[in-house]
Amino acid sequence: MKHPLAFAAAAAALATLPFWAGDQYQLHLAALIGAYWILIAGLNLVVGFSGQLSVGHVGLLAIGAYGFAIVAGTHGVDPWIALAASGALGALCGFLLGLPSLRLPGFYFAMATLAFALIVTELVLALDGLTGGGLGLSVPTFPEPFDTPAGNYWLILAVASLVTLLTWNVARLMWGRGLICVRDSVVTAQAVGIPVLHAKLAAFVFSGLTAGLGGALFAVIQSYITPDTFLFELGMFFFVCIIIGGRGSILGPFLGTVVLTALPELSAPLAKLGNFFYGLLLLLVVLLLPEGIGRLFQIAMERLRPRRIESMPIAPHPQRLTDAIKAGQR
Amino acid sequence: MSAALQAERITKRFGGVTALSEVSLELLPGEVHGLIGPNGSGKTTLLNLLSGYYRPDQGRILLGSEDLSRRPVQERPRLGVARTFQKPRLLPSLSVLENAMIGGWRDTRSGFVASALALAGARREDRALRTRSIDLLQGVGLGHVIDRRANLLEHAEQRFLEIARGLTGRPRFILLDEPAGGLTSTEIGHLGTVIRIMRDCGIGVLLVEHHTDFVFRICDRVTTLDLGRMIRHGTPAEVRADPEVIRVYLGA
Repeated sequence: MKHPLAFAAAAAALATLPFWAGDQYQLHLAALIGAYWILIAGLNLVVGFSGQLSVGHVGLLAIGAYGFAIVAGTHGVDPWIALAASGALGALCGFLLGLPSLRLPGFYFAMATLAFALIVTELVLALDGLTGGGLGLSVPTFPEPFDTPAGNYWLILAVASLVTLLTWNVARLMWGRGLICVRDSVVTAQAVGIPVLHAKLAAFVFSGLTAGLGGALFAVIQSYITPDTFLFELGMFFFVCIIIGGRGSILGPFLGTVVLTALPELSAPLAKLGNFFYGLLLLLVVLLLPEGIGRLFQIAMERLRPRRIESMPIAPHPQRLTDAIKAGQR
Repeated sequence: MSAALQAERITKRFGGVTALSEVSLELLPGEVHGLIGPNGSGKTTLLNLLSGYYRPDQGRILLGSEDLSRRPVQERPRLGVARTFQKPRLLPSLSVLENAMIGGWRDTRSGFVASALALAGARREDRALRTRSIDLLQGVGLGHVIDRRANLLEHAEQRFLEIARGLTGRPRFILLDEPAGGLTSTEIGHLGTVIRIMRDCGIGVLLVEHHTDFVFRICDRVTTLDLGRMIRHGTPAEVRADPEVIRVYLGA
């Protein structure tokens, strides 16, 4: 943690948001961002770290949402158990989708996830006995004290924090580097012994879990879900949040999610433009900031505290090198 | 006498082209073995066979008495075989330290879930690997760029980082694909120092290199290939004096 003060301030601001948010709508928006982020945090390990271009996570979101609505609503199971079941169902579907498709090269993998999202929508319509078809399903809330907008927000904040912590752990330890290695050089990954498919699948199943959890919480926010809630554009939106935020970062995609969700909602002219706004922002970032908006902060920091890149000759230390090699042989 | 890494009468074809024909090579622990020959003679092909990227059409790759011919490339690090690449393959957005740490993947026993939960074992492995990588980076002479992003490295630094990454995996054998390419004579001197230290620590070093002065100076044994055939192997003095080697490669 490089900036503990900034982190503490942000955490305090998020925790107290229901007290300082302008109105109920802003609180609703914050909860929505949180639910999206739960999915995007997991997807970030797939797209931003392992470099697998999934555009179909809206399908997994729908599975989590309908899973929760059916288990907790139709069958009246305890919502907490239904939430866990949604996560497990998302992970299982992630496994079943990832196992065959993660062997495919980039473009074909993206097409497979696209096809998956379309199939889920069609299935929701076809299985109308279970899902209500085009009419949709109403979604139960969590019990007290999580049934108010503020309570629901805090619940989502807690789950989002937990998911973020898990992804941060992955990112800062060896698996994060392993995933980035799979993204940037499969040849290197093989040379150092990273099990490439296993690594991609682990990240993908984890993203299924978070998509399932995010879906359940998203459904509660919506309070009523229909197939139209889960349009393919939403899957593109998740993907774009990560690309705009920057690959291989957690803060970047988080900022991407906040900006892309909030800006069109808070500014009426932008809302009218809708997809045009996403498209323009995506174009600007890809052309001008290919490493994402997260990189803007890094650049600003480097401007503030410039580190001179001086060139120094390489000079091996024979004794140190001998000791280091021998230490590994023991 | 510990086990050698061996290519035993290897033949490798690509379509109709025979890249290697009945080539044998034995890399002993604690030796520097040069592999030279004109462009297209099959040096890199042989290195790719030894490191598991290709499978031989005939012949076997052996580690001691263990047949590695059909074992996938991912298993080589655990068996103690590391390699570097002719064109450095680093992870541009990661730091020098993290690039070196990647080489120690074989010591990552914790799974994805243990990592996500940051269990004590996962954190301990990470710390150990970090310490080992720092020591190795300082040893090869990259201590001053440890936190630099790899895409900001100069060419020589990239080459030395590839070697450090190989060493993080605690190899018994390291296969170096043209490590002196693009280095200045001072840097080649330092590369020689690093290679000798690896040898003195008991690592078998295979040196694929065009820089023949360097090869003859540093190697204990040299194998020469031409058009996929082995034309001579022996001590540097023997190889250098061989009329066939002079004719096809060294020139008069």
